[in-house]
Amino acid sequence: MADTTTTPVVLGSAQGSWFARVGWRHLVAIAAVLFSLFPIVFVVSAAFNPLGTLSSTSLVPTRLSTENFSNLLTRTEFRSWFLNSVVIAVVSAFAAVFLSALAAYAFSRYRFKGRRPGLMFLLLVQMFPQFLAIVTIYIMFTTITELYPRIGFNTYWGLILLYMGGALGANTWLMKGFFDTIPKDLDESAKVDGATHTQVFFGVILPLVTPILAVTGLLSFIQTINEFLMANVFLTAQDAKTLAVGLFGLVQGDRANTNFGMFAAGTLLTAIPTVVLFYTLQRYIVGGLTAGAVKG
Amino acid sequence: MAGVVFDKVNKVYDNGFHAVHDLDLEVQDGEFMVLVGPSGCGKSTALRMVAGLEDISSGRLLIGDKVVNTVPSKDRDIAMVFQSYALYPHMSVRDNIGYGLRLRKTPKDEITRLVDAAAAKLDLTDYLDRRPKQLSGGQRQRVAMGRAIVRRPQVFLMDEPLSNLDAKLRGQMRTEIAALQLELGVTTIYVTHDQVEAMTMGDRIALMKDGLLQQVSEPQEMYENPANIFVAGFIGSPPMNMALARLVRDGDGLVVDFGSQRVAVDPARVAELGELENWVDREVVVGVRHEDMEDAALERLDDGRQVSATVRLVEALGSELQVHFTFDAKAAETEHTRALAAENQDEASASATLLGHEGVRWIASFSPRSKVRVGDRIAVHIDSARMHFFDPQTSAAIRSRVPAGA
Repeated sequence: MADTTTTPVVLGSAQGSWFARVGWRHLVAIAAVLFSLFPIVFVVSAAFNPLGTLSSTSLVPTRLSTENFSNLLTRTEFRSWFLNSVVIAVVSAFAAVFLSALAAYAFSRYRFKGRRPGLMFLLLVQMFPQFLAIVTIYIMFTTITELYPRIGFNTYWGLILLYMGGALGANTWLMKGFFDTIPKDLDESAKVDGATHTQVFFGVILPLVTPILAVTGLLSFIQTINEFLMANVFLTAQDAKTLAVGLFGLVQGDRANTNFGMFAAGTLLTAIPTVVLFYTLQRYIVGGLTAGAVKG
Repeated sequence: MAGVVFDKVNKVYDNGFHAVHDLDLEVQDGEFMVLVGPSGCGKSTALRMVAGLEDISSGRLLIGDKVVNTVPSKDRDIAMVFQSYALYPHMSVRDNIGYGLRLRKTPKDEITRLVDAAAAKLDLTDYLDRRPKQLSGGQRQRVAMGRAIVRRPQVFLMDEPLSNLDAKLRGQMRTEIAALQLELGVTTIYVTHDQVEAMTMGDRIALMKDGLLQQVSEPQEMYENPANIFVAGFIGSPPMNMALARLVRDGDGLVVDFGSQRVAVDPARVAELGELENWVDREVVVGVRHEDMEDAALERLDDGRQVSATVRLVEALGSELQVHFTFDAKAAETEHTRALAAENQDEASASATLLGHEGVRWIASFSPRSKVRVGDRIAVHIDSARMHFFDPQTSAAIRSRVPAGA
């Protein structure tokens, strides 16, 4: 920039040295990556550190062993926790997606009395955090457990029921928005072709909304598998606990933090189902599924 | 196969909009009926009521001899082609066409046979395994047609199926659809806002305006004997020329007095339109088709059926000259002419900028031998044996008889 008579005119971000233009962004990115990787590295390190306490954990482990993993699998109920978590998360995510899709279809396609109030009500209910109701729910389920122990405390079904109710509102809104983008002509065309409402829903609409099904399914799954508060109130028996509750039990009241290694190993294993699910559903999260349906 | 009957059918939407008023219309078995009218006239609503996609507020709708007011779409044995085509994007062309058959539990090999036959008829054989998004607009339109014809329904419903195609393809598909309908002999109700499509395709035309049926008749009959000013202006391109004039008696015959000039009405026409006698010494709206006028210089006769005019624009179309001219007369102004002006807003505003002075602006088709130039003072000969007359208050045509079907 010294000789302005020979250099071409440069404007805005094209001015200055390489660092001033592009380089600083790399620095910011690297800092952000380091910042977010730090806890993960720390947990990985703790999981493989045979000493297994919080104070003995460092970023780079001094010794490597899988002792924490084997202890976790043999000395605790980790296997039941894992199974419980996966079953509850899969079933409630699936059910929540399905029910929300049904509700979203109705809200998107039909005009009925109470449609707008219904939508508003769903949104309103969603605005209150679920733990506001925790005392009420606890009292309700105490009675339910006495009368119908199969859907009471320490069962899958009770908790699944609870999670489904909690997720319905947000999912329905999310899906309704997506359903609205599917041209109504398609429904009508299928109807004239001879399809019933059910056939329209399953044969024409559902295949076109797979991206939002995948997204809401994934979100519900992650939310459910990580949920702690409700599960902690609900599941008290050792073999009924989910991962979140069980792992918390490991470090709870453990003054010397001697179980920290096992805890870290458990959290790593907990991430597996989510990662697997994400990679499976990823290919459904694509755009342009309705391309070619309608013109104009 | 079956006809479709509208019996005093009304559609009032929840917001109070009365889309269709007391529609009485009988579509014969195997007939190609075109519903035409400006946008918002209720033609699509009427079609959707036949399809079962809109509820009927009152009246009866019959397909064949069965009242279908409350019969769901899927049990009406109809097929519909949508303006947007509405193809199922996740299915191949083969599955799109065969979807209705699959829903009816038709055996697999039967579906294959029928789909192949339909595809062959529509030149789609090479595209059966493609998805809709891999097809061009014209091909998508064919798939939509294929989906309709493969089931051999009692009635075809078509909702402006050609309006998304470019002009050339539209002309081609127009012929193909008409030929296909003739071959299959299936009762068809076709909705369009394009009067050219209506004229060329329909066995009969039903013209609607603001939810009211204006006239039902064969295309040529509608062109030659429009029931009112709106029909006269809507059917035909360029639209019928109109002006306000006074009907006066001159000797034995009747004369149209535009103010400063007069045109004698052919005695044959006076005899034809018996009602005309009642309008002597009253104002009427006079309508003249563009082809019923000629450059008087070519005719070499003065039979008192001419107006002198100023040429404003000459469009040479090869086989004819379209001459825009102005002459001293009062413009007709009724509710119908205003509706037409709104319909042709673009053209109207274009001509308004050219106009700006005397009288009314008409368009005539002259023989290409005519030598008129812009700005010339010319004499225009009007074939008054084919003049139309309308009531300036009600816009209704002045006729002697009620033509068939109206």
